[in-house]
Amino acid sequence: MNSPLSPIDFEDKRLKIKFKLEKRLQKELQALTKDPPTGVKVDAESIYRNLSEWIVDIDGAPESLYEGEKFKLMFKFGSRYPFDSPQVMFIGENIPLHPHVYSNGHICLSILTDDWSPALSVQSVCLSVVSMLSSCKEKKRPPDNSFYVKTCSKNPKKTRWWYHGK
Amino acid sequence: MSSDTPTSPGPTEGATGGSEVSTDGNAFFECNICLDTARDAVVSMCGHLFCWPCLHQWLETRPNRQTCPVCKAGISKDKCIPIYGRGASDQQDPREKLPPRPQGQRSEPENNGGFPGFGFGDGGFQMSFGIGAFPFGIFASTFNFNDGRPGPAQPGTPQHSEEQFLSKVFLWVAILFMFWLLIA
Repeated sequence: MNSPLSPIDFEDKRLKIKFKLEKRLQKELQALTKDPPTGVKVDAESIYRNLSEWIVDIDGAPESLYEGEKFKLMFKFGSRYPFDSPQVMFIGENIPLHPHVYSNGHICLSILTDDWSPALSVQSVCLSVVSMLSSCKEKKRPPDNSFYVKTCSKNPKKTRWWYHGK
Repeated sequence: MSSDTPTSPGPTEGATGGSEVSTDGNAFFECNICLDTARDAVVSMCGHLFCWPCLHQWLETRPNRQTCPVCKAGISKDKCIPIYGRGASDQQDPREKLPPRPQGQRSEPENNGGFPGFGFGDGGFQMSFGIGAFPFGIFASTFNFNDGRPGPAQPGTPQHSEEQFLSKVFLWVAILFMFWLLIA
């Protein structure tokens, strides 16, 4: 017979999960500030104040259509991170003109929903986004951009994305 | 409007920043999920190291599609190998250590109010039939479906032995009664 979790155990478990989540985010932040990949920058000071929301600066890769451009990516981590993917979207003035990026900043990238894995990290997501931008051949919005932007939820994770290749 | 980025083992491992970033020797033994030194370590058939609690939680997250977080190879509880270091005090298989999830507890709904015994409506259904007149009522069977009575007590509890005793007493009373009927 299993006894149900007592309220104290439950609280204890919740705290442990919270502690593990914060520890992992701190480790990621440390790694990213200490040894950032080219074209990815974080402002550690501002993130330490609120670990659950990060803003990452991204530079368009050299020799790509986005060379010289600067973008801001926002990450929001839920309490189930890293077992659940973070919310990731472009914010700010400059939203890249790309067939997989909607004008409201939402990104259609499979690792951000279905193909998420807890071994991925902020750093690997940033690299995926940079490489997605770099592989672009023609700067344009997704064909259903205006419809999507009008109808979508604020949270890109609520969209049922249809991934088709490439 | 989409891009499908398969995560190959190589770049992902590098990108998680485990082994390259930290300088201490523990770095190679960091769990791929919590990025901390692996606790109750298990290794998958594809060679990736995890804390068992972390991996277990991931397997629970997608029970129908259990894949290695690092390389997306198929993975399951039986296909992980526990790792025991030298001199570890606790040599128990970490896969057994994690307590199984507590089972849901459900209790029978309580009958409150309504017409007792007349209830198709209030969730209980009771039926009883007997054969013959009063004395033979002993043979009557009672079928009760879903009534509000508590189930039998667990064996070993005082209530259980008490109930056993009572049922024996009634059995003897019944036998005596029948005996009396026969000789009377």
